[in-house]
Amino acid sequence: MRMRRASWLASIPLLAAMAGTPLAAAELTVPPIPYHQRTLANGLEVLSIEDHASPTVAVQVWYHVGSKDDPRGRSGFAHLFEHLMFKSTAHMHAEQMDRLTEDVGGANNASTGDDVTNYFEVIPSNYLQTLLWAEAERLSNLNVDEKNFKSERAVVEEEYRQSVLANPYGKLFNAIDPHSFTVHPYKRPTIGSIADLEAASLENVIDFHRTFYRPDNATLIVAGDFDPKQLDAWVDLYFGWIPRPATPIPQVTVHEPARTADKRYTETSATAPLPALAMSWLIPPARDADTIPLQVAAALLSQGESSRLYQSLVYRAQVAQQAGAEVDARVGPGLFVAYAILASGHTPAEAEKLLRAEIGKLADEPIPAAELDKVKTQLLTSELKGRQTAQGKAFGLGQAALIEGDPARINSDLAALQRVSAADVQRVLKRYVTAAHSVTIDYLPQAKADGKHRGGAR
Amino acid sequence: MNRLIRTRLAVFTAVLLCAAPALAGTTDFPATPPAPGPAPTLSLPTPSSQTLANGLRVVSIRRDGLPLVTAELLLRRGIAMDPPGKAGLAKLTATLLTRGAAGRSAPQIAAAAEALGGSLDADADWDHSSVGITVTTPKLPAALALLAQVTLQPAFAPAELERARSQALDDLHLMLSQPTQLAILGAGRAVFGDGAYGHSPAGTAASLKAIGRDDVLRMHAAVYRPDDAVLILTGDVTPAQARALAEQSFGDWKRPQTPLAVAPAGMGKSQLPAVLVIDQPGAGQAGVVAAHAAPPRNDAGYYAGTVANAVLGDSYSARLNEEIRIKRGLSYGAFSVLDGRRGNGMWLAQAQTKNPSAAKVVDLMLGQFARLGQAPVPADELAARKATLIGSYGRSLETTAGLADRLGALATYNVDLAEIGRYIGRVQAVTAAQVQAYARAHLDITATHVVAVGDASKFGEALRNAHPDAVRLDAAALDLDRPSLGLGQAKGTGF
Repeated sequence: MRMRRASWLASIPLLAAMAGTPLAAAELTVPPIPYHQRTLANGLEVLSIEDHASPTVAVQVWYHVGSKDDPRGRSGFAHLFEHLMFKSTAHMHAEQMDRLTEDVGGANNASTGDDVTNYFEVIPSNYLQTLLWAEAERLSNLNVDEKNFKSERAVVEEEYRQSVLANPYGKLFNAIDPHSFTVHPYKRPTIGSIADLEAASLENVIDFHRTFYRPDNATLIVAGDFDPKQLDAWVDLYFGWIPRPATPIPQVTVHEPARTADKRYTETSATAPLPALAMSWLIPPARDADTIPLQVAAALLSQGESSRLYQSLVYRAQVAQQAGAEVDARVGPGLFVAYAILASGHTPAEAEKLLRAEIGKLADEPIPAAELDKVKTQLLTSELKGRQTAQGKAFGLGQAALIEGDPARINSDLAALQRVSAADVQRVLKRYVTAAHSVTIDYLPQAKADGKHRGGAR
Repeated sequence: MNRLIRTRLAVFTAVLLCAAPALAGTTDFPATPPAPGPAPTLSLPTPSSQTLANGLRVVSIRRDGLPLVTAELLLRRGIAMDPPGKAGLAKLTATLLTRGAAGRSAPQIAAAAEALGGSLDADADWDHSSVGITVTTPKLPAALALLAQVTLQPAFAPAELERARSQALDDLHLMLSQPTQLAILGAGRAVFGDGAYGHSPAGTAASLKAIGRDDVLRMHAAVYRPDDAVLILTGDVTPAQARALAEQSFGDWKRPQTPLAVAPAGMGKSQLPAVLVIDQPGAGQAGVVAAHAAPPRNDAGYYAGTVANAVLGDSYSARLNEEIRIKRGLSYGAFSVLDGRRGNGMWLAQAQTKNPSAAKVVDLMLGQFARLGQAPVPADELAARKATLIGSYGRSLETTAGLADRLGALATYNVDLAEIGRYIGRVQAVTAAQVQAYARAHLDITATHVVAVGDASKFGEALRNAHPDAVRLDAAALDLDRPSLGLGQAKGTGF
């Protein structure tokens, strides 16, 4: 359910030291992504990237609405609503988006996160005009009926069962937000609960669309094989008429207070074969300059088998089958999360001790320059991989614009990454993690959880 | 289930009470979607193929634009080579390649690969094993040197074998706790019986414990040899560079005197009933799988099968998802895969559903199997599903890793690599009559095996009412090493 992590894009030189090979030493430059930005009179933001590498075009509409905006007593509603956007509108029958995409050689999907909901298609480029019409249509003319509402709600309930109940560690990851936030609506899991989904009504759907699906709350992103003048004309034609409502857009302004104590919770699972552990700390919003050093810290801890957590917990001590750390940065307060799924015969307490020790060591002891370089190279390479497709570039732009608050971040983040020093990594780890308060969740297979003293960590 | 939400924002409530703006009401907005412009053409890449003196085939596709290359060494033997009682050996052997080689320890190899920006991914599939990495172009020579070291000089240290074994055992338990994963394993046994494709690819608790270092060495010697290997390079690399780099890294790899290992027969005799229920008390959902033996990858009807599967269940809008998810809300997704292997293959449909709907989903799946053979696919539907296939194919070629996957799938089965450029025409040429004939021949529901894994207390009775011959087995009594899965040998079987 989470959106992608922040991007790492910018122009940076890569020095090659491979003299004497067929690919002689060369300095590589990763060019910035040239994007175009404009805003229609009704408030719709339009971002575009022209790229003729493939005769396809990616169309995405990102709305500034996510599960943090779920109505009262309706957890999971923003996500349920996302599914309903594929049902009927005034001029399209249910699933017509599939007819206009899959049936002509394209593809579509959508996702809902805490802060945003995005709808995305890749289509042969001759269908661009068609899809711009279709996206404008479902922004302005959604018209879901009761029958489609109920059958799609049943699908979302199956999605809940699949991701939370049938997935052995689903309940653990679903429990992180509820235990990590005290007052911020981020505390509700995006997938919601069966009871809240059952309580949702068609009236809620109409209200939600009216409240949040409006041009001044949306960003249209088009990337790929198009003519820019033609694009502008079509966007004006199909989106320009949509009125901007006079009412303000509801904003979440809740302040999540700093934690004053460490907290600990236990969750149990009927199906997980082995225990697990997750810990979280509060971090600043994604737009903050400290986000990138935190991401470097997470990569030092957990990217690849040479990472510190893998080497300590999985390889040397063999207490875990998986261990990780990640930065879950959001528009509002985010989380630094560390977790481990245990190996047989080990307890969450053993994993917790090693996780804390590795984080502490990274915060306090010198970080070798080669290790910092390694992580920057890993992050650059994975970003380059993401930029091979128009859709990948469009996602990067959406993430920069909506989560980090500025599309220019797509090109400045990588330069910022290159500037991250060992001291930056240690400063942010100390500030937000080692000197701050954690929330810890012990996750125990049910049978073993019966006796209070078995398997639990101190 | 998690807690309900009690708190909410005052500002939100206030806005809900405001009058709605008039969103509709334009006279200019068209009521029908604009028609598409003229269709663009997809330019398909041309692979280059060369062979070194030691028999190593070097296949490459040049894609410039970004300084990225995917490098993969593919061996044309895989899981099917696992000896009886040693299920999991091919995957374990692949895993161990990167856990120490050429005098370097596992942590040193991981650090070397990751300093290049990628990670070494080694694994085995039914008919191939592979080790690969994606890096920026300047790192390619070093990446290939590393690929050669782990392939040619693995240490297979006893301590690493023990470590990999306990990791594999934990992974296995995790897999067996997931209903659809377990159902797929059961379906493999049901279709292939005691044949080489019938066993558990990741091994079993007993087989993993039975694997010794000698087994690993034998598997390595049989599978990892230049005359049965293909080096695939896709991305920012020319054919001349590909050859020079291959010579530099793999030119000294000795071709063994021994003949190539004979691949064992994939198909054996099935010992399982047509409908099997594996009871997993407390399961959060039921995993439903319906599977059928299918022709091999090299079958002349490959493209008819590809299109038939596209109609059945290869995409969101295909029939299985339409009937099970879109019309009835019974699952988050229902799909099918037609997996042509060496000698034969498997056609498999899968869906996860709440426990009480498992019997209904079984019947919907079987209904769609039958329908595909009963009537020709309507022209509109056929055109739509071909377009979906072709579009998805084109998108898969947009990345260096996608290109390498497509080449690997062809090279594994010695299919002419020029097929990569013929795919679209071949798919377009398939007729509705060919799809129907293919389904009639290879999707006969009297020879279909169904495996449903979940909380049988919630669906066993309904399933047995519809399929009186259905047999139940407790997950705890399951023995994946036996072609019978332990049916009849253990308590907790029957209904």
